[in-house]
Amino acid sequence: MGSTMVWVSSRWKIALMLAPALVLFTAFFVYPVGYAIAYSFTDSAGFGAAKFVGLDNYVALKDDPFFWQSLRNTVVILVVSLVILVPASFALALLLRRRIKGGGGLRALVFGPAIIAPILVGLIWVFILDPKIGLLNRFLEPLGIGPIQWIGGDTLTPYSVSLVFIWSSIGFAMTIFYAGLQLLPGDVMEASQLDGASPWQQLRYVTIPMMQETFAIVAVLMITNVFKIFELVYMLTGGGPVHRSETLVSYMYFVTFTNQRYGSGMAIAVVIFVLGALTSLAYLAMARRRSLA
Amino acid sequence: MFGRNFGSRRRRRLVGAVLTVTSLVALAACSSASDSESKDGKTTITLSMQNPDVKTADPATWAIVQAFEKANPDIHVEVSGQAVAEHLQSLSIAAQSDTLPDVFWVYKATAEEMLDAGKLMDLKPTLDDLGITEHLPESTVSNFTADDKIYGVPYQGLLTGLWINKKILADNGLQPPTTFDDLVNVAKTLDSKDIVTISDGANQSSFSVWSFLVWLDRFGFEEKIDGILDGSEKYDNPAFVRMYEHIAELRDAGAFASNVSTQTYQQAVDQFLNGKAAMLDSGVWASSAIQDSSVAADTVFWNGATFDDGVGEQDIVMNVASAPLVVDHRVADNDKKLAAVKKFLEFYYSDEAQQLLVDNGQPPVTDYEPEIDAAKQSALKSALDVAADPNLSSPRSQPDLLVSTAVSSAMYDSIYGVIQKQLSPEEAVDLVQKALDAE
Repeated sequence: MGSTMVWVSSRWKIALMLAPALVLFTAFFVYPVGYAIAYSFTDSAGFGAAKFVGLDNYVALKDDPFFWQSLRNTVVILVVSLVILVPASFALALLLRRRIKGGGGLRALVFGPAIIAPILVGLIWVFILDPKIGLLNRFLEPLGIGPIQWIGGDTLTPYSVSLVFIWSSIGFAMTIFYAGLQLLPGDVMEASQLDGASPWQQLRYVTIPMMQETFAIVAVLMITNVFKIFELVYMLTGGGPVHRSETLVSYMYFVTFTNQRYGSGMAIAVVIFVLGALTSLAYLAMARRRSLA
Repeated sequence: MFGRNFGSRRRRRLVGAVLTVTSLVALAACSSASDSESKDGKTTITLSMQNPDVKTADPATWAIVQAFEKANPDIHVEVSGQAVAEHLQSLSIAAQSDTLPDVFWVYKATAEEMLDAGKLMDLKPTLDDLGITEHLPESTVSNFTADDKIYGVPYQGLLTGLWINKKILADNGLQPPTTFDDLVNVAKTLDSKDIVTISDGANQSSFSVWSFLVWLDRFGFEEKIDGILDGSEKYDNPAFVRMYEHIAELRDAGAFASNVSTQTYQQAVDQFLNGKAAMLDSGVWASSAIQDSSVAADTVFWNGATFDDGVGEQDIVMNVASAPLVVDHRVADNDKKLAAVKKFLEFYYSDEAQQLLVDNGQPPVTDYEPEIDAAKQSALKSALDVAADPNLSSPRSQPDLLVSTAVSSAMYDSIYGVIQKQLSPEEAVDLVQKALDAE
């Protein structure tokens, strides 16, 4: 064992052991990100020589109404998701932690949507939300409501996408919270009970503070997932009408691959990357400040 | 411990050498597979298309490939396909690594950019040598010519317009329309009975506005396009605004389905085939599906409405070449592949292959006069009869094929934007103008 430690602790051998991971990380993350950043300063059409255009692609975004629309939609989805998804999944985890008959089955049921491919989730919800053939409007019609343009209009689409995103992600978020709740030290919970804390006080002053890290993990995961929403929009509306329901990623895809403006598309990709990273870091900083306080 | 397990330095070197050799062999195998010229002694050429399942989605091309392989047992055509966006994405990645398929479908504007980048083979000598050029319409050849090079050949014909279900009209006391005013009246009558007049679907298919692209030509697009491209004219002009106003008028008459923005083109087709819409905005490629449906006997092809306030010729039918098939520039450097591709092109434009196109619901792209079974191919015959009408002329190209992909996207958005009441006619032309200005 001692000779193993000596063998492993030599610096070049550590480097050697890290090398495969480093090579993969460089090949599949650093290089593509660097490539995208470099191309965002060019007029690349995907082939042929690309001309350096400086900040032109970024400046053009300033005057692109569809870019701002897609950013607005992404922010709406982000806010709605964080405001509803995080508390709702935590509440579900609390509920399903209790020893109830069929709890395991219920947990599996809630987790179910998380294992469906996003493209299928979109397909399922088209048949629910479509203003003409959708189930929801069919149910509302006898009540004298509608028809409501849940998707395909210019108002409700981002909220509908948020709803579908919440539906598909809540099981995953709930599972993380559930695992966090299971790891809470039993003696602390028991002590708070002996001290006479009511269930609400126990939740407010013991459980939630001890779950700060889990909340941060779930929030960051959801933030990054919102910045990656593509398939849902692609299936529900294709980004329409006239890009009114695009998210940043679906609009980036449109600019890059449909319009074949790789330089502009990569500029949007860089913006998404920066926004996603900044939002996650801001949330983490806020969570840390709160836990220190 | 590790040292003991791994054995001597010599053994490690040996293991390293074996791994290196294995990797090199694997790489060599990959390389030879990707550049494969022969499979079971056959020359292989790759054909990449814009449909995920060529066999079922593009039976005409599939039939031609099968017949070609039968006639040329020493050549294998490896057919692959993806949906348009994925196909274009794959092509641009392949173009960057110079691994394009041998023959592939691509938009005209993209083909011209690829030609500029030196990625495509000049087909002029080959086509002249094979005597194909003389059998293609002059407008098609000039359409696919740049810098004195012919970079593409017509994949299929683009005969577009509206399919009309005469029975729905007759059941509602209506005659097939001729003018725009007739069409508005039809829309108003059918809307009052909750029947969709024109079936369209924008979801994932914003390009499905073929009948409205013909409208552009009825408002002088062909005369204006050169000026629009060189900046001496504007897309934002009174004639085009008027055209978009007519789309708005048709929308307000209730011509379109309320879920036009969420249904796909395929769902729009199904709506028509199920007898739930009086007209389908499409082209000749839909004739096979129509023929196989219950509405076949009642369906006729219409070249679209004429306008009192239109610009230029109104008696037109959009009967042009679609996006081209092009050939990778590397084919010219490989004698075996070049010979195989030449044979393929020669076969594709032979009378036998043109008849196969017709048998599979497509119009011929050469001057070949096809044999049509009027009973079994009534929909196709109806479309070809309109195309052959001596009183109708055709524009040289469909408007979206004369501009870049970004501008054509803006054109589709502008049309669907008005149909879906998201854009006013003025905003619609402005959207396209901005895309042109950004070029």
